[in-house]
Amino acid sequence: MTSTLDTPSRMDLRWKPRDLWCALAGAGSLALVVWAASTVALPVTSDLGLVAALPFPFWAGVLILNAAFFVALRGDTEGPASRPVMIWLVAVLVLVLFGTAAFVTDVPRGEVAFRHLGIANALSGMQQIDPNIDAYFNWPGFFALLATVLGATGLDPVTLALWAPVLNVSLWLVAIAVLTGYLTRDPRRRWLVLWLFCLGNWQDQDYLSPQAFGFFLYLVVLAMVLGPLAAKPATFHGFRPAGLGQWWRERTPAEPRTGFRLAALVVTLLLIPVITASHQLTPFMLLVVITVLTLSGRVWPGRLPLIAGLVLVLWLLYPASTYLAGHPLLENAGLQIAAEANVVDRVNGTAGHLLVVQLRVGLTVLLWALAALGAVLEWRKRRLDLRIVLLAATPLLLFPAQAYGGEMLIRVSLFALPFVALLASSVLLPGDGSVRPSARAVGALVLTCFLLAVLTVTGRFGNAQYDVFTRSEIDAVAAAEQLAPPGSSVISAAHPTPWRSQSYLEHRYRTMDDLCREDLSPQTCGPIVYNYARHNPGGAHLIFMRSTEASVVLQGDNSPGEFTELEEWISMQNGVQLAFSNTDARVYRVAP
Amino acid sequence: MSAMTLAKRPTIILGLAAVVLALLTLVGLPTPLQTVAAVAVLILLPGRALAQLTPVTDLALGTLLVLALGLATLTAVSTAMFYLAVWSWQACVISMGVITILACIARARQEAAS
Repeated sequence: MTSTLDTPSRMDLRWKPRDLWCALAGAGSLALVVWAASTVALPVTSDLGLVAALPFPFWAGVLILNAAFFVALRGDTEGPASRPVMIWLVAVLVLVLFGTAAFVTDVPRGEVAFRHLGIANALSGMQQIDPNIDAYFNWPGFFALLATVLGATGLDPVTLALWAPVLNVSLWLVAIAVLTGYLTRDPRRRWLVLWLFCLGNWQDQDYLSPQAFGFFLYLVVLAMVLGPLAAKPATFHGFRPAGLGQWWRERTPAEPRTGFRLAALVVTLLLIPVITASHQLTPFMLLVVITVLTLSGRVWPGRLPLIAGLVLVLWLLYPASTYLAGHPLLENAGLQIAAEANVVDRVNGTAGHLLVVQLRVGLTVLLWALAALGAVLEWRKRRLDLRIVLLAATPLLLFPAQAYGGEMLIRVSLFALPFVALLASSVLLPGDGSVRPSARAVGALVLTCFLLAVLTVTGRFGNAQYDVFTRSEIDAVAAAEQLAPPGSSVISAAHPTPWRSQSYLEHRYRTMDDLCREDLSPQTCGPIVYNYARHNPGGAHLIFMRSTEASVVLQGDNSPGEFTELEEWISMQNGVQLAFSNTDARVYRVAP
Repeated sequence: MSAMTLAKRPTIILGLAAVVLALLTLVGLPTPLQTVAAVAVLILLPGRALAQLTPVTDLALGTLLVLALGLATLTAVSTAMFYLAVWSWQACVISMGVITILACIARARQEAAS
């Protein structure tokens, strides 16, 4: 019978003093982290991002938290500390790693969450879907959900976006806790997987986004496929057709209750269309992964990949056909294109930014190396579950299929991360679950995970100089959007710009970076932007902000002085007037 | 005896909570209460009502199904309403309330049969 968390930790109501001390240490570390993060002054000025601005007590809090977790994980001969204590410590880690920015500022990081709020707002206004607007309106599931939740709850959209990383990672962890329960019976390893997943999650895909929602549902489908829909492997009779046929027919369901299998299948058949309607990439990842798992003989409903594939094709042929007419699926395919977009183009910028990029790569490589070692160790102990290796490696198949705006490698590493963490955990906890780690091993684990936490915070918040906005910048963007008449252009110097959250469809939004093909020199870019703005019947409002300048300089697209020269050149042209200014931003009106 | 009289108390409470909270959400409550009521009626109650139709006994899997089914059903309902050009958040609240009640009736029939 399939069930999760058979003996993850003790559920006795009497807490041991050690458990209490661990819980208190977690609370203390959280208080330390919140206080330390709240003292960070904005804007962040270091090329290394937030890591250089966080004071010493923050790191002390992270160290204490790791120590508390591993003392609790070590527990005693009966197993780790009680489940409420372990859950509390994981919850504190989620707040520490994914809520840090919210303790520093009340403005969500990055541009995209603002854009997503704008799409939900536009949907609410239109009350229907127009697929001609852009790609988002061809995969509107998540935005429909967001529009309904924001309308019914009365929640402040910006506050929701601010805390979305904490909410999303919490949802992911519930799903990962369930699916790892089907892959290992060792309660210590299960808790460690959650810990490692958080520590390896520098990818920053947990903001208010369709991919974060899609990833949660993807994990739930995997929980179904690994649990109630799993098949027990049959004896392999060789690769001859007759042998393969016999092997396929001899599979038996892991879950003996027919009703439970049917219910799990119905749940899966509900989730697949919702995933398909919500995000472009996730259904492809899901299709590839469940196809590989099914072909390995470990999934009972053998037609599940066909159903997922059919749903995907139908969605592409009908609701998403408008977008696909101008954007063929394999437009940016190929290993070389993918490598250039995902690796070469990203290794640019100032020395500090390059170091951050290298540390992100280093953290990923380190976890993959640990996972590979873990797979070898498990194989030598004859207890390697092939499904974990398949789940970790299969997302890589999609790497050459699409450049995906240079983000495919990031997405692949996120989809593999739960299973990479599971394999890596068998290196860090080599025992069989009944063995209590030694005090020395716990010390080594604390230091290792503290190092991983430093790397994750560095990688995750490495762009803080330009993706953590000041209140002045938010005010400037709001002023530009208010001043710009409907139909006119709003032009920012570069991405990220925290715009479009209120007036997604009212203006034409462009960046000088895009208009000038990344050459922001005044001689080249000035006339292009000026003519573009003048020829718009409604005119334009140009936004120059501290963060956008930092963005182009940090990523090596421009030298520091060029941005100022461009602004000066534009500000001296006919019909250009300063409409708004504050410490971090200027807005110019360009008359048509 | 009818299925409703044989239904267990948690199922009846779940159905009644869906009706009451849906009405309160539609009428409007002060902000923090409105948020709690809306999240319950849109996600948690339908998720719970649908999850209890499955024979899940495991706490972790049950919790996961409540969240996943609640969110996925609301997404499906909202998206369908947008495509049919009949969307409003009030219509979504009513639809999710109806789904919760129907799931509770189905559960009550299961309980009566068992």
